[in-house]
Order: sequence, then C-alpha cells, then structure tokens
Amino acid sequence: MTIVEHGAMGRVAYARIAPNEDLVQGIEKTCLAEGIRNAFVRGALGSLVDATLVTKSDGTRVLVNGPAVEVVSIAGEVRAGPDNTIAAALSGVVADTDGQVFGGFFVPGGNTVCMTFEVTLEEWLPADASA
Amino acid sequence: MPLTDPWQTGRVRTLQHPGRFDPVRIKSKHSDSARHFRVTLQPGKSLYDGLVEPMRAANIEAASTTILGGWYAELNYCVAPPDPQKEAIVRYSAPIYGGESYMVFGNATLGVSMKGTPMVHCHAAFVREDGALKGGHIIPETTIVGRDGISVLVTAMDDFVLRQAYDPETKIPLFQPFART
Repeated sequence: MTIVEHGAMGRVAYARIAPNEDLVQGIEKTCLAEGIRNAFVRGALGSLVDATLVTKSDGTRVLVNGPAVEVVSIAGEVRAGPDNTIAAALSGVVADTDGQVFGGFFVPGGNTVCMTFEVTLEEWLPADASA
Repeated sequence: MPLTDPWQTGRVRTLQHPGRFDPVRIKSKHSDSARHFRVTLQPGKSLYDGLVEPMRAANIEAASTTILGGWYAELNYCVAPPDPQKEAIVRYSAPIYGGESYMVFGNATLGVSMKGTPMVHCHAAFVREDGALKGGHIIPETTIVGRDGISVLVTAMDDFVLRQAYDPETKIPLFQPFART
C-alpha cells in the first residue's frame, strides 16, 4: 500500500445529478462524463429518496426513510481501478424529514437522488500516471 | 404500509415526479483549474451577505464552498417533507428557528438565481440552542454569523456558470451548470 501518493489537483467538475440516479454511481458516472480518473469530493449537497448507510464494521446498515433525506456533508474520493473500473467511496451525514441526523458509509446502489444532487469534484492527478 | 427497507425488498425506491422524465440524468461541466479562497464570514452579517459580498468583490459567480465549524448568533433552517399540495414530491418546510447555534460542518453552492441575483444553497449539520444535533437546509438570509466569524474554503469555478433554472421534471427551480456565453 502506498503511504504517500504525490500529485496535484487538476480540473474541477460540477454536476447536477437527476432524480432516481444512485448517488455513488452518479458520482462515478460524472467522472466518466468528464474524463476524470481520480478525484476528491469537494462539495456535495442534495436530497435522497431514502439513505442507506453502513454504520458498523460487520456491515450493519441503517435505512433512513424519506423522502426527502437531505445530505448535509460528504467526504469521499473516486479512484480508478486496475480493471477498467472506477469506484467512489463516500461517507457522510444525512438529515431526515425531522432534521434528525445519521452518519455512515453510503452503500452503492442504496441511495437514490430525490430532487437533485449537486456535487463538486476536484481531479487528483497522481505523479505516477499509472495510478 | 409498504416495505421501504431496500435490504428487505432487495431494491431501492423509484419515485414518480410530476413532470416529464428527462433522459439526460447527469448535467456536468468543468473548469480547467479551480481558484481557491479562504473567506472569513464577518460577525453580525447574514451567512448570505458574509459570503456573497466578498465573492462579488472578487468577481466570482460560481463556487462550491466548505463552511468550517463555528458559532451563529441565530440559525434558521428547514427540512423537506412530502409536499402537502402534491405539486412536487417534496417541498421545503416553514423555517425552523434554531436560535444561537454551532454549525459543525456545512457545504454551500454559490450561483445565480432566476432573478439574476447571487444565490446560496447551503446544507449543514448543527447544534441548536436547545442542544439538539440537527441537519438540514440552512436559510442563508436569516442565519447570522456569531461574534468570532467563520472560516470558509471557496473553490471558484470560472469556466462555466451555475444558474437556478426551472426543472420541468421535478417542477422546482434548481441549480444547473451552463456554458459561459
């Protein structure tokens, strides 16, 4: 495992992801649309129909019922894989229709956009271009 | 009551919006590089003025911002329950008064409203005056920065614009990226 990866920030992309798209795959598809291989999520806000979050190392999941569940923070990155794949790993905090907050890892395929999702990605350009 | 847990039903829910489905699901634009700014929201200003005034002075129309933790003399927010009028799937609630609050973390997008004025769309997690940890859609015009000011990291996007535009599918106005003309 590389401990320190040197690189630089590249382009900055903004996307509006439409309803019924999955949040995690929507961010991956944004990278495909913009030709970005690696990126950090720099800003993300929007709403989900329901949120599905992993909250324990045994894979325990929490379902937060909407609509709409508001996403209030996300930290995450997108990484290109060795087999022509691209994968976003996102964690964050959501609020339900009463403002109650929940946090965890966003399960790919389990977080569909409700009204809209705005995401800003900052491209990461590793100095080793094979990354 | 229908099952809504995707881990019991094996799938997530697909909602029907009132308007026509748009086959283009992701609308994206990019800037070749980003400009970064550290802005301090000034005590006593609204979150809106505290962000918009320095952005206007720097000639920035479109930006994504990370709002760091800090105190607000007053915070107002809303949540998005199902629309009682059924015109849209959900609609923002009436403003909820949070009182003197600590914002744990926030994200805000700066763009241009349908009226041509700067618009700030902000979601955040915060601790209300009554001690409750909550999250939601912050109302920037009536949320007032506390006496210490608040640090904000601004990522400005110069090669395109973010404009609030009516979305025929959801039947609400929302930010979308457009080419700079």
